[in-house]
Amino acid sequence: MKKIYLLSVMIFSFVAAVNSQSVTNNDYKTLSDNINSITPKNTSFMVRGYSHFGLNINDEQTSFSYGQFSPIFLWKQGSRFIFETELEFEFEDNQLNIGLEYANASYIVSKALVFRAGAFLLPFGTFIERYHPAWINRLSSKPLGFGHDGIGPSSDLGVAVRGAFQVGKSKLAYDLYVVNGPQLKTGLVEPEEAGMLDFSLNTSDNNKNKAVGGRLGFFPLSSSALEVGVSGYFAKPGSETSPFAGDSILGSLNYQDVSVSMYSIDLSFVKNLGSVGLIDIKGQYNYSSLSDANYYNPEEDNIYTFKNKSSAYYAQISYKPISVNNSIIKNLELVGRYSAYNTPEDALWNSKLRQYSIGLNYWLTWRSVIKLSFDNLKNNVSEASGERNEEEEHGPLLGNAFYIHWAIGF
Amino acid sequence: MKNYLNILIVSLFFAVMAFGISSCVSEKQLTEAKSGAQLWAENCVRCHNTPSPTSYSDPQWDVVGLHMRVRANLTDNETKKIIEFLKSANN
Repeated sequence: MKKIYLLSVMIFSFVAAVNSQSVTNNDYKTLSDNINSITPKNTSFMVRGYSHFGLNINDEQTSFSYGQFSPIFLWKQGSRFIFETELEFEFEDNQLNIGLEYANASYIVSKALVFRAGAFLLPFGTFIERYHPAWINRLSSKPLGFGHDGIGPSSDLGVAVRGAFQVGKSKLAYDLYVVNGPQLKTGLVEPEEAGMLDFSLNTSDNNKNKAVGGRLGFFPLSSSALEVGVSGYFAKPGSETSPFAGDSILGSLNYQDVSVSMYSIDLSFVKNLGSVGLIDIKGQYNYSSLSDANYYNPEEDNIYTFKNKSSAYYAQISYKPISVNNSIIKNLELVGRYSAYNTPEDALWNSKLRQYSIGLNYWLTWRSVIKLSFDNLKNNVSEASGERNEEEEHGPLLGNAFYIHWAIGF
Repeated sequence: MKNYLNILIVSLFFAVMAFGISSCVSEKQLTEAKSGAQLWAENCVRCHNTPSPTSYSDPQWDVVGLHMRVRANLTDNETKKIIEFLKSANN
């Protein structure tokens, strides 16, 4: 009797267990089906970006610097459409500044044609579009004339097409864009900046003209190790009406016919030389020429003009001994850079800046780096040196600067 | 003079474009000869260090790949082969 009772309990337990498993499997399948029914098949959202933080030491002060936090939001729909936007959180002068670096949509029209619309980084040369993020830029500072106040645009609103394709064993990349364009600083607000271009992201243009530009990148080697690029950018930056309209004397100053032509040449050579290591050479030359115009100098109460031509360039070389069989040494990187920035001789913002930079980096991971770097900055225009040091508006302080920065891309 | 220079530059631009598009039939042959790993090693390092395949999941590599195609102006075949490699090495 006891055996029958025991057997009955075992059979009951087995049936219950099987039934329970069956219920669990059914529940799991139902749950899985439900999840699959609401999971987007073609839509993906992702947050990437970069940040950096560090210590800045120069001739006047030693400060911890919260560089910036720049999240990049990506939204992909299907296999052809992607939206990207980058915000910039920067703590500067004891306040938080939030800016929009770019926000645009791209659509893959065909194998060699991508259409873009919105605010995007302009391919005028390569530094601004590709190498400016802190975890990609090998030094803590940017080359002279390649920041937001430099020669050439950073981002702007408009439409663009771009693409790349093989030409035999070589490769060709092209860009063409139409954007709102820069605005001419007439000196009405800041007389000492008369004749400069303002490349800030403007949602409304100051005239009916549009800026046009393009870039051709040529990769002569099948390995894509070498790239040579040429860029052009043409615009009319003046407003339709005189900024001094109503003034009986200055009202005649009009800038609607002022035009600007800008050119850039860039070069990149990145090669793994086997047992020697990885060598990375980069450079870019920017040239800007504005047509002549008259400007008002309130300090001397006169109208003056000047040849408005500027240039900026940099050459950089970095070396990583990646083939060395030592986990610390193989992650080190040596960097050297020379950059220069020349502004018009007879302008109130005349300067001839020269900067030497050297750096030693240690790569913690492929996207996280500790950068030790040193800059020496000189202005060969002696009378402007003092002003530059006091104002700090158009660039870094003259003299020496030492940086210890940590940067990460995520 | 400047107008002539601008016209010359634009003309050269389109001439090179036309030549390039007419020659792009060889793209498939050339990039098919290269593996995804080789293209990954050659192209990513032009701007930054080569990423580890385990840095992102497969769906994330699809997003990163499309983003890099647009931002770094990669060719269609380069992008596809690099994403394929990163996904296969990710498993």
